[in-house]
Amino acid sequence: MFSKCENLLMDDKNSKMNSKETYGLNRPIMQLIKCMVVAAALLTSSVVLAAVHNITLTAKTLPNGQLAYALGGNEAVIPGPTLFVKEGDTVNVTLNNDTSIRVGFKIPGLQQSSAKVKPGENKKYTIKAKKAGTYAYHGNMDGKELLGLFGALVVDKANGPVDRYVEANGNTVPVTQSDITKQFVLFMVGSTFWGSEIASDGTQKPLWANPHPGAVENDIVRFHILSVGPGHTFHLHAHRWFKTGTNEVIDTKLLAEGSDTHSFTVKAGTGVGAGNWQYHCHLIAHMEAGMHGSFIVDPVGGDGAGIVGASPYGNILLGTKPNEPGVVTFEVSDEPASWFRSARGDAIVGLPFDIKTKSLEVIYPGSSVNFVMSDTNGVHTISSLLWPTGAQHMPFDQSSAYRGGGFVTLHTPGLYVFTCKVHPYMFGAVIVDDPGTDQGFDLGNSQNNYTIDLVTGLKNLPTSSDLAVRLLKTFFIATAPVNWQDYSTGQWNVKFPNLPLITSGGVVNLSTLNINGQALSVGLTPKKPGVGEVWINTQFEKTAGKDKPGTSTVVNTSTWQVTRKVALPQINNNNPHNMWSNRDQSVIYQTQWFDNKFSMINRETGELIKNITVGYSPSHVVTIPNTDDITIAINGENGISMIPAGTTNVTKMLPTQDHGHISANPHGHWISADGSKIVTPNINTNDIGIYGTDGGIHARTPTGNNAPGAHPIAIGMMPDSSKIYAANLLHHSLSVLDGSTGALLTTIDLIADYNPITGAFVDGDQNNDPEAYGILPIQSPVSPDGKAVVIASTGGQIVIVDTATDKIVKSLLCDPGCHGANFGAKEGGGYYAYVTTKFGNRLTVVDLDPDNDGDLRKAKIAGYVSLVDTANTTKDDTVSSLPGFGGQGVLAVPNVYNGWVQNLPKHWKDTLTDAQQNPIGQ
Amino acid sequence: MSFQMNQPCGAMELSENSNATQSSPHHVLLKQFLVVFLVLALAFIDKSLAAEHVIQLTAKETRADGFGNELLAYKMVSHTVNGQDITSRYSSEATIPGPTIELTEGDTVEISIFNEIFNNDVQVPGISKQVSIHVHGVHYNILSDGTLKVINKVDDEGAGAGLEPGAVYSVYTYTWNVAPGTVGTWAYHDHNFETHNGAEHRGLFGAIIVNPIGAAHYAKEYVLYLGDDAFWGMEINGATKKQSKHGPNPTLTAKEDTHVRFHLIALGTDLHTFKLNGYQWFDPGTTNRINEVAIGPLEKHVFSIKAEHSAHYEDKNLSNKLLGMRGKFNVQ
Repeated sequence: MFSKCENLLMDDKNSKMNSKETYGLNRPIMQLIKCMVVAAALLTSSVVLAAVHNITLTAKTLPNGQLAYALGGNEAVIPGPTLFVKEGDTVNVTLNNDTSIRVGFKIPGLQQSSAKVKPGENKKYTIKAKKAGTYAYHGNMDGKELLGLFGALVVDKANGPVDRYVEANGNTVPVTQSDITKQFVLFMVGSTFWGSEIASDGTQKPLWANPHPGAVENDIVRFHILSVGPGHTFHLHAHRWFKTGTNEVIDTKLLAEGSDTHSFTVKAGTGVGAGNWQYHCHLIAHMEAGMHGSFIVDPVGGDGAGIVGASPYGNILLGTKPNEPGVVTFEVSDEPASWFRSARGDAIVGLPFDIKTKSLEVIYPGSSVNFVMSDTNGVHTISSLLWPTGAQHMPFDQSSAYRGGGFVTLHTPGLYVFTCKVHPYMFGAVIVDDPGTDQGFDLGNSQNNYTIDLVTGLKNLPTSSDLAVRLLKTFFIATAPVNWQDYSTGQWNVKFPNLPLITSGGVVNLSTLNINGQALSVGLTPKKPGVGEVWINTQFEKTAGKDKPGTSTVVNTSTWQVTRKVALPQINNNNPHNMWSNRDQSVIYQTQWFDNKFSMINRETGELIKNITVGYSPSHVVTIPNTDDITIAINGENGISMIPAGTTNVTKMLPTQDHGHISANPHGHWISADGSKIVTPNINTNDIGIYGTDGGIHARTPTGNNAPGAHPIAIGMMPDSSKIYAANLLHHSLSVLDGSTGALLTTIDLIADYNPITGAFVDGDQNNDPEAYGILPIQSPVSPDGKAVVIASTGGQIVIVDTATDKIVKSLLCDPGCHGANFGAKEGGGYYAYVTTKFGNRLTVVDLDPDNDGDLRKAKIAGYVSLVDTANTTKDDTVSSLPGFGGQGVLAVPNVYNGWVQNLPKHWKDTLTDAQQNPIGQ
Repeated sequence: MSFQMNQPCGAMELSENSNATQSSPHHVLLKQFLVVFLVLALAFIDKSLAAEHVIQLTAKETRADGFGNELLAYKMVSHTVNGQDITSRYSSEATIPGPTIELTEGDTVEISIFNEIFNNDVQVPGISKQVSIHVHGVHYNILSDGTLKVINKVDDEGAGAGLEPGAVYSVYTYTWNVAPGTVGTWAYHDHNFETHNGAEHRGLFGAIIVNPIGAAHYAKEYVLYLGDDAFWGMEINGATKKQSKHGPNPTLTAKEDTHVRFHLIALGTDLHTFKLNGYQWFDPGTTNRINEVAIGPLEKHVFSIKAEHSAHYEDKNLSNKLLGMRGKFNVQ
């Protein structure tokens, strides 16, 4: 029983009898007991002292939707209760599950059962603390544990000092338990620290998110740094300590990916004095994402109290402790629509306000927003899209994409929308509600007439403006699949939240804009057949045999029927985004945009040939026409991966920027017909890069006309490579560049006809068509004959630009989330543009020249094709939800672009006219 | 040298700095710390070996990519040890990596930062124009943390226009106590440029090497920084102390059978696994022989080897490997 007294043990039941003695004892008595224990240890073997700890943990759901462990009947806390035991002890954990999902209990490095506990049930886990050290325990739930089911188990040697520290004079001083003034546990999860403090009497206090732990100068403070999920390095300013198990003195320590721990002891302020000493993760992207706090060392005489961080119980909508700063948490996910999913998203959807999105949160000033990339295989940024005018800490952004999370405290009332720069339709919105107004939720700050600023440099936009309302509507449609246009149901319903919102124009309720039962019909298929087949990345379609979303949908252009769905459940195919084919059209190359994978698919059978790691968030793939080598834009990183023709290994990555310069993060690239140049839209640096296919940076041309945030996203090129077209997503513009020098020739404003305040359309660009515009343009290929650019605009337009004049000719209507466009051959001559949409499930087929007279003004929609599978569709998995949705990359087979068409095998050439075989008349 | 022409009033700069410190209530605190440091030095150090370093660094734009993008770099302006000028061992240019400063346990350092980055003295709300030196490993008080006031609660501790109204310094001076127990190789880097995170990832980094008294000498010292797309490195000739070969993925050279030392420091966002093919070394602070090491941003890893054969040093991180993050170690 003595051993129990010596342990600062936080177990219940067994220790109830002892707890009073343990926690109530003053220090001299503790020391006396310690001496007796040490004496006993000398006389007997440590085996005799090994204790059995019976601990009851309950997994609970917190007010903000995060999960946490509670010890016995205590409050559930993040990190979970810290368990202190001695080497050789046995720990019996009874785990109750009060959450709605299966949870487990796992301690990497120590053996135990991997069984899970169902909701409402319990299970006992037995762990033998064989070896001294600090261990993380967690819920073992494939990422869900990052929501808060993690804690520390500290196993100290049965006898002797528990640690040592470096004194100001360089001496090494051993540390016994009784020397320690206080201990801090800091979990590094996502890009947030979750802390707790353990006083010398064993009392544990939650410090929550990004706290400022405190101590008094010369206090002996033991830190336990732990991590679950992506890796980190921990750095504490002006202090140094031993690397565990070595005599190396360090001040920064790697916590490796997966789960890792590092414990150390310092004498607070030794050799450096009092101060607010920052601690932080030293990964630049994590620093930029807010991963820091301060170790406040008070001068002698101070209270060393520190400052508690943001609590999941705190000052958020429906929080239970409104007097404490609160935090809401978004899980970053690969799941369609729920890309930023509030941890309490299911509960929000269940509220009686018709909120259909799981990506909206409400907090009060001074509370924080936490993001954790717990459900994604890709890399991301957490970046501001818009915020209330004058808001602090805005824009929130990072200089590169990464794995982790984000943390930002918001003080100014109003609407904040976050996105990922790599995947710019991932949206999360937070309303910071002003407690001083009572008519509704504040979309802006009353001090600034409720206006918002945009990342594109647009300032003081009234929240009642047409553009602001369009952006809001886009958010509520993109993040709620029930609001998508499902042609298989025959009707369209859009429900906006039934909530009063305070805008620049007074109180509004978006539910007045609801669409109820609008009839939907797919429409007719094109009268004239195309040539070959069209592959569409229905990136959001879910199938039963895998967790991750996305399929490829194959349409036969003779019958306009969906002939095949390729889901690839065996590799958990994740968000297939864009495709290309090899020269003989036998292999489809497929990027997985929310992952680091790229797959090769047998075009005729739909079978997987190979799944290859190519770099994070591969977006587009294009072959080099004269070599058939494969180039893949690595959207989450800083280069273009190359796979030589006929092989399945990446041999190199062509850098898209000079050494040490900010990552370009290329998205939808193109290659010149002669195979000499790769042209990339660089989303992170807002420029167009021109690179030699054998290396070298030829040009980097900014596209924003000196305004920030243009976000160039896709490239089209003239068949003779004379001009480059680049769509700027957030500037609603098309940059035209000289194909050889990269010089900017002109910028076509795609919303010149649109008044963002009133929503009125006038003929601003004087092309005699005031209704021609494109909001949020994405793919913008040039027709193989070089006559037109077709721009799929996510606002629901298809814009046609005449390459002879570089002016808009007209725009056609498209479904919400219009995204991909590519050309294929029309039977008997000419081309179809195939256009895809994310939030609708049909393919739009555009005929630029229906009368074969070259008059682009006659361009029209030739027909539509449902992308929902039928009884005649061959499948490798069963479609389970979101049928045919998420249309993004689109590829026509045969590839009829100049440079590629000439290399087609004869049997494919035979399906084309002479003009199609020689699109620029060579 | 354009630097001196631009700001000829060295005396004025110094007085500006002392104004800055005088205006701060922590000036007294600083003095107290200096006294404490002196007492410590007297008590624990063989005083005859302790050196006083006076160092001036500046920061400027460098390595323009030809398309309007530049990196930033530190440049050594002057370094005296007990009054003796050793500036000639450093590059006369602003370099990435910045100068490697060799110190001995027990030394004291007074290091000043200047700022030659365009428009650095014009305050812009919400954006810091300052450049600072935040050092790892050694002792310093809160005024020498090299951070912004939003972090340290005292001052914007750098050269240039800070975030706080009126916090515009043409030079900022830090005091480091290279106290016993600080032996090792440590990074220094900016913490103040544009945001409170600084511009370490844009080139503003360097290292100090704190040797123990009576340390072994090496024929060559290589300081290699593992960045997000390249190694940035330099080498120091052990005999002449001359620093050279600054830049990405440098080719390092050694004479056969000489003893050389590698100083690894990681930077940026990526985690790395370093390998020097065909070589083994002691994991620092242990007797374990290893042939590769996992290293994350701002960790350090120092090892020495006998140069026996030429080899490549490389990062095993997949993307970095594909980007060609490797270099030659040529043994002749």
